[in-house]
Amino acid sequence: MALDQIFSGANEDFPALLRRNGMLGSAPMNFDQGAASKQAPQSGWTPTESTTILAFKFAGGVLVAGDRRATSGHTVVYDRADKVLEIDRHSIMAIAGVPATAWEMARVLEHSFQYFRRTQLQEMSVDGKVRALSKLLRDNFGFVMQGVGMVVPIFATYSQTSEPAARLYFYDAMGAQFEAADYAATGSGSPAVRGILYYENTWGEKPLQKLNEDEAIAIALRALDTAAESDTATGGVDRSGKIFPIIKTVSLDGITTLPEQKIAAVFKKSVA
Amino acid sequence: MIEEPYRWVEAIANRREYVETQLAAGSPIAAVGYRDGILILTLGRARQKIFEIYDRIVMGAIGHPGDIERLRMAAIELASTEGFTRSAADVSLRRLAHYSLSPVMKTAFEQVYGPPYLARLLFAEVGTKPEEDLFLRVEYDGAIATNGATLSQIRQDFAVLSATRQSTELMESFLKSAPLTDATLVNAINSALNAWSVGHMTAGQDGAKEIPEREAISKHLQEQLATAGIEAAILEREAKTAIRYRALSDEEARSSIQP
Repeated sequence: MALDQIFSGANEDFPALLRRNGMLGSAPMNFDQGAASKQAPQSGWTPTESTTILAFKFAGGVLVAGDRRATSGHTVVYDRADKVLEIDRHSIMAIAGVPATAWEMARVLEHSFQYFRRTQLQEMSVDGKVRALSKLLRDNFGFVMQGVGMVVPIFATYSQTSEPAARLYFYDAMGAQFEAADYAATGSGSPAVRGILYYENTWGEKPLQKLNEDEAIAIALRALDTAAESDTATGGVDRSGKIFPIIKTVSLDGITTLPEQKIAAVFKKSVA
Repeated sequence: MIEEPYRWVEAIANRREYVETQLAAGSPIAAVGYRDGILILTLGRARQKIFEIYDRIVMGAIGHPGDIERLRMAAIELASTEGFTRSAADVSLRRLAHYSLSPVMKTAFEQVYGPPYLARLLFAEVGTKPEEDLFLRVEYDGAIATNGATLSQIRQDFAVLSATRQSTELMESFLKSAPLTDATLVNAINSALNAWSVGHMTAGQDGAKEIPEREAISKHLQEQLATAGIEAAILEREAKTAIRYRALSDEEARSSIQP
């Protein structure tokens, strides 16, 4: 560890600090070779990708769920990927896209929030946090244009001081943030998930925001299972391997990772 | 003038005197290990003196706010970049103090044409076991006093920071006389408050030369508590999250005071 004597940290955000120390590179912007039209680099190499994630507000806060599959082309690379990541005590980032980029983004984001709180001696606002992720996506756009680092995350946070307290955002690959009123889903299996969530929210027994925890888990599992039915890149629920989606909830008390037994019980009762 | 060696020594001595004078008004800070972690506490009127550095590291400081701020930023920067590039487990107070802060502070102090850091720093790091807790004091000249530096030394689960050497030593002997290994947070708060009172009474030219009587300590503390606020934070050994630092509010600390 070397100590920089020109301490300029006060006005600098964490990604800028990393760049100053050469620990974070920006993606090269390379538009003139028609790279945008290609799906993957010329070598034929296909990046590992992961799908599908969803989030919706329910009576107990926000529920965020993701299947466990990571794929590369037609190959299943991993069946225990964790796409629902805790960023701080009240923020969850769920990722669809290239995990190499997404996990790095999550690390930067996690450290950014903590770095801000420690240096500035106050918590970053919800808007600041939402914007921080947007900036990371924007910085990554050069890779997206080359077809290797697309990430489309969902960000869920709960803040006592904001109105409404539960906030849910989804992003596009360029970094535009969209606040969702009730639910959000991204990834290759998301069309099916959006259909289900829209249906449940509009014509279901009760709107999503009125669901209790067990009902919310059931809807999340059904939605992921439906996505897996038609999308090979989505794992859904692996019945033989007993691999269940990761489900986390965020409320005023913080983040809860739902235990596998609980998910398994709801699965047995309302899904299988 | 500095070319002649003895002039340099003289310049350093003058500088030491100058820095000591600048630090003489500082309010003491006490860090003590207790059953569930580490407590760091001071009394103050205006600005914050206890800071979160990283998941398991806390810093207390007296001195010039500008210098404290620069050192605090440097410490957070170093810990954060290390935690990001490697892992939170690789962030270590020992490395932070010995390899980064101490050499820089020493250099600044001895280069007599540049300004020294007008600051004295106290650090604590909570480990997974009490034996792994680390307490460190980094002086304006880069000197480090620690609780576990040598094998011959008996480990101490506390560290203090005060305006003068004499009051520092008296605070230390006060805390040494009443070990807090199995103490609750409430007991730790009371002990730290009394240690603060000892430090505050014995600092300065006309301060007491030995540990005052128990009644005097608590009387002085009551007087000071009427006009000053308690600033305190704890590092919890067992916590659900990686971040072990938690600031205690003035009310929370005051409600623990036992007569």
